Amino acid sequence: MQTRTLISPTRLNRPGAKAAYWIVLVAVIVTFTLVFVGPLYWMVTGGLKTAQETAQSPPTWWPAHPDPGNYATAWSQLSLGRLLANTVLYAAGALAFQLVFDVAAAYALSKLRPVLGNVVLAAMIGTLMIPATVLIVPQYLTVLDLPVLHANLLNTPWAIWLPSVTNAFNIFLLKRFFDAVPEELLAAGAIDGAGPIRTLWSIVLPISRPILGVVSIFAVTNVWKDFLWPLLAEADPTRQPLNVGIYSLSQNVPQNILIAALAIAAAPTVVVFLIFQRNIMSGLSAGSLKG
Amino acid sequence: MNSQFRRALAMALAACAGVAGLAGCGSADQGDSADGKVTITVDCQPPKSDKADRDSWNADVAAFQKLHPNITIKSVDKFPCEEPASFTAQLRGGTEADVFYAYATDTDQVVNSGQVTDITQYVNDKTVPGLSDLDRTTLDVGRRGGKLWSLPRTNYSMGLVINRKLFKQAGLDPDQPPTTWAEVAKDAKQITDKVGHGVAGYADYSAGNNGGWHFTAEMYAQGGQVVTADGKKADFNNAKGRAVLSRLHRMRYSDGSMGAKQNLAWADLLKLASAGKVGMYIGAPDTIKAIHENFKGDYADFGMGPMPGETGPAPATLGGGDQYFFKKTDTPAQIRAGIAWVVYQELTPGKGQLDYVRGKRIGQTVGQPEPQLFTGATEQKVEKLRAANATIPTDNYAAFRDNPVPFKVEPPNAQAIYKVLDTAMSAVLTNPHADVTALLDTAEKQVNQVLAAG
Amino acid sequence: MTATAAPQRSRRSTGGGAGRRTHRYSLGVQRNVTGWALLAGGVLCFVLFSWYPMIREFVLSVQQTKYGETSFVGLANYQRVVHDPAFWQAWRNTAEFTGLALLFGFALPFLIAVVLNEFRHAQGYLRVLVYLPVMLPPASALLLFKYAYDPGDGLFNSILSTFGLPTSQWLQSTTMAMPSLVLASTWMNMGGAVLIYLAALQSIPGELYEAAEIDGARLLRRFWHVTIPQCRLVLSLMLMLQVISTMQMFIEAFLLANGSGPEGATTTVVYLIYQHAFNLDDLGGASALGVLLLLVLAAFAAVYVRLDRPRG
Repeated sequence: MQTRTLISPTRLNRPGAKAAYWIVLVAVIVTFTLVFVGPLYWMVTGGLKTAQETAQSPPTWWPAHPDPGNYATAWSQLSLGRLLANTVLYAAGALAFQLVFDVAAAYALSKLRPVLGNVVLAAMIGTLMIPATVLIVPQYLTVLDLPVLHANLLNTPWAIWLPSVTNAFNIFLLKRFFDAVPEELLAAGAIDGAGPIRTLWSIVLPISRPILGVVSIFAVTNVWKDFLWPLLAEADPTRQPLNVGIYSLSQNVPQNILIAALAIAAAPTVVVFLIFQRNIMSGLSAGSLKG
Repeated sequence: MNSQFRRALAMALAACAGVAGLAGCGSADQGDSADGKVTITVDCQPPKSDKADRDSWNADVAAFQKLHPNITIKSVDKFPCEEPASFTAQLRGGTEADVFYAYATDTDQVVNSGQVTDITQYVNDKTVPGLSDLDRTTLDVGRRGGKLWSLPRTNYSMGLVINRKLFKQAGLDPDQPPTTWAEVAKDAKQITDKVGHGVAGYADYSAGNNGGWHFTAEMYAQGGQVVTADGKKADFNNAKGRAVLSRLHRMRYSDGSMGAKQNLAWADLLKLASAGKVGMYIGAPDTIKAIHENFKGDYADFGMGPMPGETGPAPATLGGGDQYFFKKTDTPAQIRAGIAWVVYQELTPGKGQLDYVRGKRIGQTVGQPEPQLFTGATEQKVEKLRAANATIPTDNYAAFRDNPVPFKVEPPNAQAIYKVLDTAMSAVLTNPHADVTALLDTAEKQVNQVLAAG
Repeated sequence: MTATAAPQRSRRSTGGGAGRRTHRYSLGVQRNVTGWALLAGGVLCFVLFSWYPMIREFVLSVQQTKYGETSFVGLANYQRVVHDPAFWQAWRNTAEFTGLALLFGFALPFLIAVVLNEFRHAQGYLRVLVYLPVMLPPASALLLFKYAYDPGDGLFNSILSTFGLPTSQWLQSTTMAMPSLVLASTWMNMGGAVLIYLAALQSIPGELYEAAEIDGARLLRRFWHVTIPQCRLVLSLMLMLQVISTMQMFIEAFLLANGSGPEGATTTVVYLIYQHAFNLDDLGGASALGVLLLLVLAAFAAVYVRLDRPRG
């Protein structure tokens, strides 16, 4: 079904307008393909070139002597597998922690509203205004020597998992969604004798799937894309996530192997995205707004 | 209702327990046990991408443990051996290895951090055989306040690296690298003009603190310094400093012989050089090793001459190196084990990094005039071994070897000073209208501030 | 444990005003206990990794640590960082990056979304394309851009010279370095914003456009008087998020321009913080800079809230 937008359908159906529409559409399709897929093509073919060819002027559009061996070299010598495994571990843990703690917190703030709940919420939302990097120094010192417990979380997954819970944006999204869950639904549950936690589990969560999807995407991509924090908190190269590991590697390998490594690093998420793009896209656009 | 509460409480408790459980993870494991066994972690194990180096490191660990059955070495894979941010992070966190690597540049930072042990009392002729033959300047890199804090791993001194292939293509004699800056400028122009294809006759650093590092080296070559002898004031805002910067600016913009790409940090320049895009640059022999082993350039294409000066080889060149420190929490047994390992791996002719017979067999780089850790008979022994097992054309280094230039160590607070000077280097290489005098004025002010803050 | 016992007692006591009050009271206790139990994990993490560090930032900014000894130094750290010539440059650069990022990272995605929303064909394909770069690890995308920005033989200059256009020094020109970072950053991050705008545009009721058209409003007027007001909430939220995220730009400068860029042209405040903390071994200076950035952002937030409220 087509809804009415800026330009009316009747106007578009006029002969001149129709031609203009198609010209613009094709131009946009071509431009977007070049702009957004072009660099990926450049990356994949760059990984097939020799080191000399990658520094050639002008650049070649197709490798003169394609060498898939670069990819094998990049994978095995640079331990990309390990970097990838680290990233998955960090992302999965961060996701689990956020789903448990952030959902619980948002539900409590939305439906149970305990004493000082408003203060807590304001203090959480307030952190949205503060870029994480501003606090990088004290945060680092905290992880280094956790107050009271005196544990050192550096070079452990905890250094990524626990701070990931302080995702005020996700809490905000979740709370907004829970706010919109009608009270009657909860009241019905209460009459059946369900306590707040059972209500959360069997009534609220099942209807919250869209927002949980969005929050999960944000949780995973945050870990996937973070750089400075893991660079410092996971300084041990065997524990670095992909995003940091590639940077370390860039100091150490010829340009062609590096480009192959960039392509390999990009592949997993791009493939996952292309397979699930329908779900991800609709989830993101529905959840982020209507939540 | 009850179960609800219990579940809620359990959740809260689990949250606390999860955190509390971590307390165990962070605690330092004690290295030595009652039966006299001692375990040490050592970082800077060569990366997997340097197969020959990594294999020989592992073999050395095995051989060393056989020799000292009560010592266990745990290697920490780390590349680059020092990445400034994570290095500082680890130092602050006390998460570095028991025996850890650092650049000569960072001795002050490491000692100031309070994370290292004074090893003076552990180092003598017995624990470090050949101590008297160890090069004093190199050993003193790890000395602060009269105490010894580290043992050297390697050292370097800078010269002029040339691409022999490009020299030939430009009609220059690769066996006679230029020895004065005037010749460098002339040859650089000739290479760019004759070879073309965007080749830079000469390239230099201007980013990632490497620019300041090379400015310092070029000041030394000019007979100057960047900081006064007492370490209190900047000493480059003078004719010598202006000479260094104006020369680079002239080569970049009047001669057009420095290529288009600037703001190069360490690996950037070496990648270009490996791809045959650089005629000459200032550097130590290890850069050629990196070009060959990491960036897949060819040894035969590269050679070295002495650091150029105004009228002949320079009066001094910048030297430095790297070293192993011993963590504050190390037990005496761990320190002794660590020293034994560093001596075995780095400071014994015919063993470890100086095992040139094996080096030749497994295809390592042998024959570079580096490191030069010793003096006298020990050094001669090392050089003889090296020459006998050379895997690279050592004649390419003849001009460098036969014109030894005394080396001068880095200034105090080196990284902070380099950071300031990066800007000046970057300006003359990227701004056609750079004002050398103004740049040096600003840099001088900033360096004086750095030194005053200590 | 007394809390868990309370509801049972209250259930037994039926009828009577006092009993009902106890009932309500105990329900409140129970709600609070459950509420706080659910909040505990999240709050604990916020305390440890967000609120406490914020306080600690202020403490650190008036301290100095030398040779493992920490001492109070008053405002010395602030004086030192403010007198560093790189300080004002970093603020100028941050402002420039934020300004450029608003132009490209805020306005451009909205325009793209408006155009995409008009298409009756291939909209799904175009949405996927725009979102594709968001999926790359930033290091992958940025190192690729660094390669393409090469002023000698890079991809961008080759394309420009193929079409006979003037080439650029990109990352190594003091004037182009910052725009180059913004360009790469926009390419990488635009997808998310486009999706959100598209969703907002699609929720605009079509009758509004029809009504405007009947009133004789032309295309631009319809855009101005229907599209923008209808998206105002999303636009204003995105504006705030955009400013916050651009203020903490780090990886772009770090990977593309070796941090400080030509003559310090890409040194941002956050990069300066990083430099002080992790290159110059100066935690006090880094924290002082952090506090200053915090204050600027707080001021921005205050202005934002004030401007946003009356109309909302």
